[in-house]
Amino acid sequence: MFLSSDDAKAIADKVLAYSKADACTVQIEGGLDQSLRFARGGATTNLASAEASLRVSSHIGRRIGSCSISHFDDEALAAAVARSEEIARMLPVDPDYVAPLGPQNYGFSNRYDEATANLHLDALADAAARVIKEGARIGVDTFGCATTARRFEAFATSASLFAYERRSEIDLSATARNRADAWSGWAGAHQFSADRLDAEQIARVACFKGAHDATPVDLEPGAYTVILEPDATTELAFWLMRTMEARAADEGRSSFARPGGGALIGEKLFDEKLTIRVDPADPLAPEAAVGFEGLPHRARAFVENGVLTTLYRSRAWAQKTGSEPIPFARNFVMSGGDASIDDMVRSVRRGVLVTRFWYTNIVERKNLLLTGLTRDGNFLIENGRIVAPMRNMRFNQRLGDLFSNIKALGPTRRTWRAAGDGGGAPAAPAMLVEGFNFSSKSSGI
Amino acid sequence: MAAVAAPSPIEASCRSRSAFGLNHVLLYDLADIALTAARQSGASYADLRIGETRREYALAKDGRLENFDERESQGFGVRVLLDGCWGFYGARRLDPQSLRDGVERALENARAVKPIQFQPIELERLPVHEAEWIMPMGVDPFEAQASEKADLLLSIIASARDHGADFCSASISAACEERFFANSLGSRIHQTRTRVAPSFQATAIDRASGRFATRDCLTPARGAGWDYVVGAGLIEEAARAGEEARAKLDAKPVAPGDYDVVIDPTNLWLTIHETVGHSTELDRVLGWEANFAGTSFVKPSMLDELRFGSELMTIVADRAQPGALATIGYDDDGAPAEAAEFAIVEKGVFKNFQMALGQAHLIGLSHSNGCAYADSPTTFPIQRMPNISLMPNPQKCSFDDLVSDVENGIYVVGAGSWSIDQQRDNFQFGGQLFYEIKNGKLGDLLRDGAYQGRTTQFWNSLAGLGDASAYHLDGTFTCGKAEPMQVAPVSHGSPPALFRNVRVLNTSDDA
Repeated sequence: MFLSSDDAKAIADKVLAYSKADACTVQIEGGLDQSLRFARGGATTNLASAEASLRVSSHIGRRIGSCSISHFDDEALAAAVARSEEIARMLPVDPDYVAPLGPQNYGFSNRYDEATANLHLDALADAAARVIKEGARIGVDTFGCATTARRFEAFATSASLFAYERRSEIDLSATARNRADAWSGWAGAHQFSADRLDAEQIARVACFKGAHDATPVDLEPGAYTVILEPDATTELAFWLMRTMEARAADEGRSSFARPGGGALIGEKLFDEKLTIRVDPADPLAPEAAVGFEGLPHRARAFVENGVLTTLYRSRAWAQKTGSEPIPFARNFVMSGGDASIDDMVRSVRRGVLVTRFWYTNIVERKNLLLTGLTRDGNFLIENGRIVAPMRNMRFNQRLGDLFSNIKALGPTRRTWRAAGDGGGAPAAPAMLVEGFNFSSKSSGI
Repeated sequence: MAAVAAPSPIEASCRSRSAFGLNHVLLYDLADIALTAARQSGASYADLRIGETRREYALAKDGRLENFDERESQGFGVRVLLDGCWGFYGARRLDPQSLRDGVERALENARAVKPIQFQPIELERLPVHEAEWIMPMGVDPFEAQASEKADLLLSIIASARDHGADFCSASISAACEERFFANSLGSRIHQTRTRVAPSFQATAIDRASGRFATRDCLTPARGAGWDYVVGAGLIEEAARAGEEARAKLDAKPVAPGDYDVVIDPTNLWLTIHETVGHSTELDRVLGWEANFAGTSFVKPSMLDELRFGSELMTIVADRAQPGALATIGYDDDGAPAEAAEFAIVEKGVFKNFQMALGQAHLIGLSHSNGCAYADSPTTFPIQRMPNISLMPNPQKCSFDDLVSDVENGIYVVGAGSWSIDQQRDNFQFGGQLFYEIKNGKLGDLLRDGAYQGRTTQFWNSLAGLGDASAYHLDGTFTCGKAEPMQVAPVSHGSPPALFRNVRVLNTSDDA
């Protein structure tokens, strides 16, 4: 169920009027998600789902109780308010209590396109058909998913804050597997506006990558020079970003903690070519204007020229430490360079071109050791040329070492993320790094 | 799990109340409205799920209750088969007009995919059921007071901190799903199930070196009520966790190499889940998950042929095990739990895939086996795991017996970091606690371990298996699969088991 700003505010005002608490916050979100999956060149499952939820948090005597519902009639709203108050009264006093935010000055994040918001499943079927057709043309089996979403989020407080944002999303991702089921390729994209989504290009790239009949080369585990395509870079940068939490660093349980106490803010931890920013106004990967707890997202660097400059900080921790609260971001921009992937390949004596990663997970938080596997398009590079498809490998790689060893960056490109999964996608460049640690072979294709 | 009795399909003694705001008559009326509309519009098959889900999540960190949230959502999803094409629509409003509109949208969606439906969807003939099933449970977790839950969380944290932890976070999740399923063949099934998941993490820090170590809760999520949480000994376990997190800071690092490994059920459940549970899902094998969750190294030609593991390995699927997270009377296609009682691997040989509606004929079988689940009434049901467990050794074999058979080995307890390739072959799993085994005796605590392997090689190295006295049921609320991602609850039981020559890594020095 998609609500306009006025409709969302009317509901939020009702909730606030029902409240008998010291303070109250209301979050409302919803919209329409539509998706379509296909496999071996034909449709499998599809879905259109109208979602809605409202969360009321009541603050009573420095205690906060919350209740969420999915239907917004007056009786349900009043019951949710009463229940959240009942919960609050039963809870212990919060020693780090923070009162709701008052009015904020938000920037504008351009993430909504009316035409995209009004798409139906036939548009997704058309996008899928382009992939299927390209697969048939060059003789590979095609698999994939197309999704569109029209979403809104509203946040209101009894301290006179009301914020509303909406977004439209579309994504298409496609996997192509050769007819022997012995090799695969992948491509995908996510956009807020459908006119920026090039389904033909996704189809071409996925099928081109998947159309290899040669037996993939097996590489022995070891340290290799790798070229990571933007979707692979994003996966690694995302893990770095999600560990950048101030409280854990301040308390000594993070890789960003300084031995003896405090965080490593201001320290040069990475290669000077590494800069990661968050910006609601960024044209490639705009973050939402309204962040967690109603905090405004501002343009800021988390890493600038290799120096750690910012960590996320909740309002409660910020209040306790006398610091600025900084909301967690899912959309970030990793600055790029001017090297093309072809340039990078030409510079590599022996290495691997990686399309994307799979099942990445932190193994050790202290040294940010990440594991995972390559997937859907590894290619062996020898003497400046791609010479063969290469079997997938598991890696165990410290992120600090990886981002300290950047040899070249390509232009920053918006990457893929499933529509509805957090409301956007990061932007990152292709990246040439040395000493990437492949730890074992995988037969997975 | 065949070793225990199945619950009765109708369990009137349950203390859980029905959370539905709708009575039975209205549910049946809504079903008739939707399914009649679908039939009249030409659908050859249609089904409807109406449901209400209640969730509760409480989180405390150190001395602070950070979040206490109750969530309640209602909704419906209607699935139609029109001219060989699926169409699905889900929404939150439960009234006759919304149901009629939903059917129309589902039909529109079926028409929309027609241009790319080159192979029509075919369904097997489903049996018709009219039934009610309620999971047996002690105390409804939604009836327990918020203050009691907050007190428990803060007590867990205090216990860990009193015993060596510098920090501790603790949480309790609870969910209750009520579902009404109806299809155009005449099935009408009303079910309720509840689950709880206590969790905590204790952290100890060596400030001088900057090192830190964590020890996560080993008490599993269960299909159970609040009485399970209260009786789980969480405060006592938190005390041990505080001590063990502290001890890990000074523990000897694991020396990387090949070891005989005794794996505790608190760790082995996740290995079963990733290597056996996911690899034997037929939708993956057919390529339906190739774009995201992946395919499988297992192929239909391997039925009754693949030597998956040693003779000790028998893995069964079921939906009837008391206390398990995927236990239910009927799956989300309306297939009864009995359909989901089958061996996946029997004495090391691969025997059966897991299947949902419309898949069996693609490998020459006549019917699916009760493995469908939708994580919300508003999402499309897909093939998901029932409970999948490693059967205990029928011969007497204790944990000590397993350890005594190891000259140079490692004992692994608790699930840590995990990762497996998209065909479910190459895996790497961490743990919470690693102990040295020397000359048949359990030795010192080790730190920074993980083990790596290839699925069939690993299971064929299964050389010892505990008996039923050491059987333990573990599991998760949140197994992810499909696009858009759906999460499913599932349990996996096992005794401790001994595997020979497993590669063990040191995660701090042997990256």
